Amino acid sequence: MSEPVLPTILLVEDTPSDAALIRRSFEKTNVLNPIVWVKNGQEALAYLSGLGQYGDRSKHPLPALILLDLDLPEMTGFELLQWKRSQPNIRRIPVVILTIDSAGSTVNAAYDLGANSYLVKPGNPEEVMRVVKIIQEYWLGLNQAPKLVLRATQGPTLIS
Amino acid sequence: MVDGPVLLVEDDVSDYRLIQRAFAKIKPFVPMLRLTHGDDAVAYLAGDAPYDNRSLHPVPCLLLLDIKLPRRSGFEVLEWIRAQETELRRLPIVMLTSSGHQADVNKAYELGVNSYLVKPSNNSELEQLVSAFRTYWLELNEGPNLCG
Repeated sequence: MSEPVLPTILLVEDTPSDAALIRRSFEKTNVLNPIVWVKNGQEALAYLSGLGQYGDRSKHPLPALILLDLDLPEMTGFELLQWKRSQPNIRRIPVVILTIDSAGSTVNAAYDLGANSYLVKPGNPEEVMRVVKIIQEYWLGLNQAPKLVLRATQGPTLIS
Repeated sequence: MVDGPVLLVEDDVSDYRLIQRAFAKIKPFVPMLRLTHGDDAVAYLAGDAPYDNRSLHPVPCLLLLDIKLPRRSGFEVLEWIRAQETELRRLPIVMLTSSGHQADVNKAYELGVNSYLVKPSNNSELEQLVSAFRTYWLELNEGPNLCG
């Protein structure tokens, strides 16, 4: 019997030290789920669409959860949210914003673009660990995830 | 930390009592309001009579929504909220239902639900679930500015 495949988490974060801290925190809290780290919105889009090096879904599965920073180079978190919302299938994947910006207008804009939840990155490593643990327990344990079609093909079109 | 009310839309009395009891055990006290059908949920959120006095019937910080409801289903309530032009459209909504059917889960996400939880059948698991969603949505999550 093969090992059950744990759902993947996609971490979109441009600051290497923040990404390292988040990944280390997941490891320390014994989260065994694979964490894919991409540095900007463009790369996240490529991963989610299965473009280029991400073409093989058996190696680069669609994530069950996206942790998204907002202030990103090239393609911002907001732009990625906007794109994601227009994609069949991919649009169902829960997105948790994880950023340092806690301004009300930013929070509101994120919800308007379809973010499922908005978390403010804590300043110290112990707090990051606590938040990561809660994210894991809530989103990968308790929450019912949508089912994703693994191939980006559409069903047959009905002709009316 | 959110201290505003949580609105539960749940037609089943025994489910409501269990959820309410589990919720009330947690400190600090956060009020939980309950409505029993979809039309009432929409009237409450719209601030229509008899819910037109916002000091008595405040906008909730979180909506816990069952799917199978009399008059208007949870899906219809969800769709109505997301279509609003006011800030109400951003209200965090968690489905809390006995249906774990994948089609229902998918539909809820398509319609813009924030999270989807299945009611466990035993009490201790329900208490854990209530405690976990409360920690997540009222303590950790940064909500839109519309309640409290």
